[in-house]
Amino acid sequence: MEAVNYNSASMRAAKARLGVRLGKTWRLILALATIILLAGGLGLVVSHAAIGWLVAGLAALPLLLMEWDKYELENPKLVGGSIDGMLAGDVLGALGKNPTPQDVAKAVASVRGGQFFAMRFGITSGFLQNITTDQPADMATIWQHALEIREASGSKDISAGVLVVAIIRSFAQYESLLAHMQLDVDDLIAGVRWYDHLRDLIEKSKQPRRTGGIARDFSFGYIPLLKRFGQNLSESAGSGQLTVEVASHARALDQLIETFGSGGRQNAALVGEAGTGKTTIVHAFAERLLDAKAKIPANLKFRQVFILDSAALIAAAPGRGELEGLIMQVLGEAYSAKNIIICLDNAQLFFEEGVGSVDLTNVLLPILEAGSLRLILTMDEQRYLQIGQRNPSLINALNRISVAPASREETIAVLQDQLIISEYQRHVTYMYQSLAEAYRLSERYVHDLAMPGRALKLLESGASYAESGFVTAKSIQQAIEQTMDIKVGVAQGEDEREKLLNLEDLIHQRMINQTRAVQVVSDALRRARAGVRNQNRPIGTFLFLGPTGVGKTELSKALADVYFGGEDRMIRLDLNEYVRPEDVSRLIADGADDPTSLTAQAMKQPFSVVLLDEIEKAHPQVLTTLLQLLDEGILRDIKNREVSFRDAIVIATSNAGADRIREYIERGYKLQDFEQKFVDELINTNQFRPEFLNRFDEIVVFRPLQKPELIQVIDLILAGINKQMSLQKISVNVAQDAKEFLVEKGYDPRLGARPMRRVVQRAVENLVAKQMLSGSVAPGTVIEVTLDQVRQILGDE
Amino acid sequence: MLLITELLRWWYGDGWRLRASLVANRLDGTIDYFSVDLLLKTLFSPYRQISAGRVDGPLGVQMRAMVDKLFSRIIGAIIRLIILLIGAVAIGLQVAIGLIILVAWGILPLLPIIGLVLTLIGWTP
Repeated sequence: MEAVNYNSASMRAAKARLGVRLGKTWRLILALATIILLAGGLGLVVSHAAIGWLVAGLAALPLLLMEWDKYELENPKLVGGSIDGMLAGDVLGALGKNPTPQDVAKAVASVRGGQFFAMRFGITSGFLQNITTDQPADMATIWQHALEIREASGSKDISAGVLVVAIIRSFAQYESLLAHMQLDVDDLIAGVRWYDHLRDLIEKSKQPRRTGGIARDFSFGYIPLLKRFGQNLSESAGSGQLTVEVASHARALDQLIETFGSGGRQNAALVGEAGTGKTTIVHAFAERLLDAKAKIPANLKFRQVFILDSAALIAAAPGRGELEGLIMQVLGEAYSAKNIIICLDNAQLFFEEGVGSVDLTNVLLPILEAGSLRLILTMDEQRYLQIGQRNPSLINALNRISVAPASREETIAVLQDQLIISEYQRHVTYMYQSLAEAYRLSERYVHDLAMPGRALKLLESGASYAESGFVTAKSIQQAIEQTMDIKVGVAQGEDEREKLLNLEDLIHQRMINQTRAVQVVSDALRRARAGVRNQNRPIGTFLFLGPTGVGKTELSKALADVYFGGEDRMIRLDLNEYVRPEDVSRLIADGADDPTSLTAQAMKQPFSVVLLDEIEKAHPQVLTTLLQLLDEGILRDIKNREVSFRDAIVIATSNAGADRIREYIERGYKLQDFEQKFVDELINTNQFRPEFLNRFDEIVVFRPLQKPELIQVIDLILAGINKQMSLQKISVNVAQDAKEFLVEKGYDPRLGARPMRRVVQRAVENLVAKQMLSGSVAPGTVIEVTLDQVRQILGDE
Repeated sequence: MLLITELLRWWYGDGWRLRASLVANRLDGTIDYFSVDLLLKTLFSPYRQISAGRVDGPLGVQMRAMVDKLFSRIIGAIIRLIILLIGAVAIGLQVAIGLIILVAWGILPLLPIIGLVLTLIGWTP
């Protein structure tokens, strides 16, 4: 470890300070002085004044200083050994003698690295000033941390970025401070690497490119057809388009070079999920081939990659057999030109019949088998298998190169490079937090693409939700909330907080009693929206046990309505339809084949209540499939895609043991006294396996409703009727004794509150309907329903 | 004073080396621009692959193809030689300018002294 020693009097420090002092104004003055002295001197010499030699000679002095400043003073050569020998020139030049932490914070904020952290992480000058002292003695800790962070990030110098992290790291409560900004030290070190990477990119862009010169293609043939039906990737690569270097891509790129650089069949099939960057690899390959300095075999140098445009080809050759002829001409031209590598992007378009695609297997197979024309094919794994199934010899003729989805670090690196273009086009600035959030949320919610494509897609949509030009984690959350209709951030609006705090009251507006059940689901939602729940599980998983008609399904509906925004936000599955082992495939069917499958519905609507009704009737294999859903909030569909249930409340209901519950209640037991015993009985009688019951956050036993509660149920039903009739400005009022009579008529201990609706319908709704049709009620009327009227309709028995 | 010494040390050390590498880079760029190495390697290749393909058939047809190919090679060689010639002139100029810059670099810090000497001598053209 280098010495923690800062020497402000060192030659390097003096040079850096001089470099900073020679700002724009001085540089201009020096340039003018050079010109004036030289011109003036030569003018004097021409007019025979010998002093002109001296004047012209003096012009060398400002010129010397300018050159020194440009190539040395702006960033004096690193010498190592001490802090001043390793500090980046811009920071070193801004520091004085015995700097205090506050001086360093100020210096850091005034240079590019500090501004980078202010913009990308929200770590501003004011923030740094607030956490630093004015004691020079405190500098030792900052320098020590700076050395450690430089080592950890692999930076060549102690840049302003390294110092920002060191300042924060030296603050006692740095972890909570960073947590407040949704960051940790590793994120900041990633930020230092990002800044270093940008510096390298700038340096690289200053290096001239060697691309073969004006006579590069003299030995290669003309390609008029290819120019018409293809896109020359090498041309766009030559114009300096950004391509990203990540490990998985580098491997594929090396394999491509190996395949085309050696003998054997000159073709390669890049196989990987959509979004893994197959086309990007082909772009990078084209760029590499055109780089005169790249270490590639001579027979690949200056070869050009053309992507064939299938749509243009089909449009140009509509007749039968014409397309085959045209393709042969194009490929023949590419072969004769000697410097062309053809790329069939989304190669399935050339191997199957469909809209915008055509099966050219008969034409392409002999070419692929002969292996003399260089061809790159890109396709996803599924298509590759399908094509292989139809035509095994085609797959045998191809050199397969697999492209794996990028890891988190790789994805973030790709995002960092790609956002440069997006920022330029959309005039926004992406913060680091938005990148991390794009990765996290896209991993959970974007299913049709692989990394890094899926994160990039989300990051780009986040730009539309930028605040004051900044794309933050919140922008990304808003983007996913709007596109997927879910809630991913913590509750922030006053309305939502109010709703969460009073959730029980809101639910009780449409269901009676069952206080414990209402409370456990309300607590789960509050935990989720306060951000304190386990993110890798569903919001809550509950098993509701109890006889029919006690409000199990009603609670799920109420929850979907009150919190998730409507009863249609409920994914309901009657598991009595899943009684055979083969029903598992229906449960996880692809949305394209069966839009009602559980996975398809969850994919479409991840923020919802999932109601698994009558779970005891499902086949054990179906229950086993559901275990992962309950445990990790993940279910793999038939295409092996991960479908997230992590934003859903999963409620399973069961009537199992309903008679036992009634028995306990009739014997005078209170719910809490027999709840555990009852669950044990369910396990002992093999109605549920313990490992299944253990997966639920809470098992709630619903008790049968008593007569007084049923009066309240009638009130709820009547409120519903009045709501329906409010359009006609008519309402109905049922007398208390009539309600009691309705309860007597509708009460069935086995069916709970369910018969009540029928009874009320028969008695009240029919009565009101008749009165309305007879014209005896006018808008604004309150229809009074008496005991006699009810008796008349329902009878006395 | 120390800074002036440091400036001179840089000027005749790292600075001169840096300037030399810049000159070499520019020369490299010119060589690349005129595709010198490619032209030398393919001096007698058929121009743009015209009449370059293999032809099967009777002797007469093959002879004719060979003549065509020879013609294409000759045309190619002429065009390449012309570009090589222009390139050589450009490279020559580049080398000359580079050398002047490098020599001038060494003399530049001495110019005030040279100017002073010439002033004292009192010579003017």
